[in-house]
Amino acid sequence: MNPHKYLRAYMAGLLVPTLALPVLVLAFVMERYVFGEMLPIERVMIFPMAFVPLLWGLWNMLYVASRARTHLSIGIHGAILPFLLAPLGILLTLALHFQIPGFASHIFPIVAPVGLILYYLLWKYVVHFLNGVLGIG
Amino acid sequence: MNHQDDNELRELLKRNIPPLGNRDLPRDLWPQMLERLSRQPFHVPWFDWALAALVGAAVLIFPGIIPALLYHL
Repeated sequence: MNPHKYLRAYMAGLLVPTLALPVLVLAFVMERYVFGEMLPIERVMIFPMAFVPLLWGLWNMLYVASRARTHLSIGIHGAILPFLLAPLGILLTLALHFQIPGFASHIFPIVAPVGLILYYLLWKYVVHFLNGVLGIG
Repeated sequence: MNHQDDNELRELLKRNIPPLGNRDLPRDLWPQMLERLSRQPFHVPWFDWALAALVGAAVLIFPGIIPALLYHL
């Protein structure tokens, strides 16, 4: 018997992007008010502020629900998430008519593998640890 | 305090402090202790260190990827 295990899984998954959010907001403020860049980032801020934490929480719920059947390691499970998040992020920027800076397309071949590795490590160590703390590890 | 007082005090204590009942633990804790002792210490495999180093190096060499990573985190 593990009461509210999906709620706890959601909370454990939610924590990492929630901690990264203030850093992102700080970067946005610096970009706008210190360096004077006028990229309308606020138009797409909804993605890291709402979609990403929501999907991390749901993804961890899915992990808890499916691990007995799939036997997939949590690191691999987490590394699959960018394949869902990245297209969603790009779709959202297009839908909101946000002009993606030119350098972004140049750095994509670097960002993609680094992002995958980062997700793998964060899920394997941080989310796994948080799941243990909340008794669903 | 004489012997009679001692007896009275003993009786008073017996009357007012309920017996503890079953003083044995409901289960044996020793297997749990053995399991905890034999648990492996936290270990990070070398390839995870290598991956972490790769991420660190990429961020240092290409700082332009930081906003893109933060956007998806």
